[in-house]
Amino acid sequence: MDEQFQQAIRYWTLAQPVVSAYVASVVRDFRDRDDVLQAISVAVLESFSSYDPARPFTAWAIGIARNQIGTYLRERKRNRLVFGAETIDMLAVAFEQIEPEQTRQLDFLQECLAKLERRARQLCDLRYRNDLMPADIASVLDMTPNTVAKALQRIRDQLRQCVERHAALDGGQT
Amino acid sequence: MMISPRELIDGYFDDVLTADQQEILSDWIKLDPEHARLFAHATLLHDRLRNALAIGESSAVIDQSASIKMPRAWLESSLLTTTLGRTAVAATVLIVGLATMWFNFGTPTASAAFRELDRIIVNSLRSKDRTYEIVVEDIATERRAKRSPRPEMQRPPKPPLDGATLYVRSGNQFVLLRKTLEGLPFVTGSNGQQSWAINARGPVRISSDIHHFDHDLPGHETSIPLTNLHEGLQQLKRAYDLTFSALGPEEYLAEDGHEARLLVAVKKPKARGPQRVEIVYDLNSGGILNMRFVQMPYGPDRLDLRLSLISEEELPSDFFDHTSHHVPDRKIEMENGR
Repeated sequence: MDEQFQQAIRYWTLAQPVVSAYVASVVRDFRDRDDVLQAISVAVLESFSSYDPARPFTAWAIGIARNQIGTYLRERKRNRLVFGAETIDMLAVAFEQIEPEQTRQLDFLQECLAKLERRARQLCDLRYRNDLMPADIASVLDMTPNTVAKALQRIRDQLRQCVERHAALDGGQT
Repeated sequence: MMISPRELIDGYFDDVLTADQQEILSDWIKLDPEHARLFAHATLLHDRLRNALAIGESSAVIDQSASIKMPRAWLESSLLTTTLGRTAVAATVLIVGLATMWFNFGTPTASAAFRELDRIIVNSLRSKDRTYEIVVEDIATERRAKRSPRPEMQRPPKPPLDGATLYVRSGNQFVLLRKTLEGLPFVTGSNGQQSWAINARGPVRISSDIHHFDHDLPGHETSIPLTNLHEGLQQLKRAYDLTFSALGPEEYLAEDGHEARLLVAVKKPKARGPQRVEIVYDLNSGGILNMRFVQMPYGPDRLDLRLSLISEEELPSDFFDHTSHHVPDRKIEMENGR
């Protein structure tokens, strides 16, 4: 197989978690995110020959992502971006600076999810597997949307602390 | 009321912020690069949660690579046409397909139909009791010759599904009422904690495995169990193409005062399950009025069967316990779970 293409796949595989999160930071609907990410992956691989290896790959891919997000929203006549251009630029820089170990920490997420209590796991499944928003979850579980939103916030805090704890332990052992 | 940056970030992810709060969040991000970094870090977790839960679920059953269509622009790109040969093109498409499968990308054109299916799923999760009638419309048997087992090895025939009544409640609770070929009642069910089977003769069988008595029902091997509609609907999201479009629905129906709509799911190549599933649902509530499964695998047979809603009346709270379906002095036998 073409060496250049193999290289593109390698780089993209490493950069994809950050690019995906960048897209999710401005496109909140997960299915829209998936669609945009698919378009980005194709665009990245198509234009890889123009990539300058002297530049960080993730920053280059985020540049492509910015264009693809705009194109996607224009094609679908959607204007659901909450943030203006200046904020999106600030975020692009912030995502470009994410260190690989920050994304690696999240490899412990499955272990942390397994430790969640049943109700918390149910909320997580409804939010992330079924892609439901708090109002819909509330109607399913007979809660108020506000209670669901607060609970989701607590669960994310709990998971964040859990992955950090695991990463610290893992770092101490290696 | 003051709201913390952390609450604003989480509220943004869950789409619960007011327009003013969104503006406050945007200003907060712009105020300091460190704020943008905090937001980015929080988004990493939010995004990975989606991938972890959605991919964890979908990796079990299907090979999506077969259904990935590469954009024309990609195939026409100079990278491919000038520097790579045919073999490389095939390998490239395969790699991108696998990578795409790994990243769990969706199909761009299906978003609207998926959202409509989500509404149906939300409705199926509500703690409402529903009763369906099952009608088997057609049975096709695979032609390949099978050696008949010796008479002493033969299992008793499965109670027919045609004419069965299915009662469902959220939380994996169901009761399926069938009749044996001799016309005797055969009831299986689950209260979400244990499953059970009651034959007219012999002991009442109970298992701590809630799927223990599903094995003689179609669908359990292909993640579309008749007794758990919610799980089946989730499988449609993963392994089926939805042909419904919110802008141009295929069909509108009217049944018993319901304004109804038809959603058609067609199995993706290499996925397992019925070839086609048709869902007629209440346009307002998203509640399923009937479902038709076409060529549903069932041992050597392929069934066409239909589930039709016959009641949404609330059932007694203990209806899904086995004790509600037999006399008190029946012998109970515990069976091991799988």
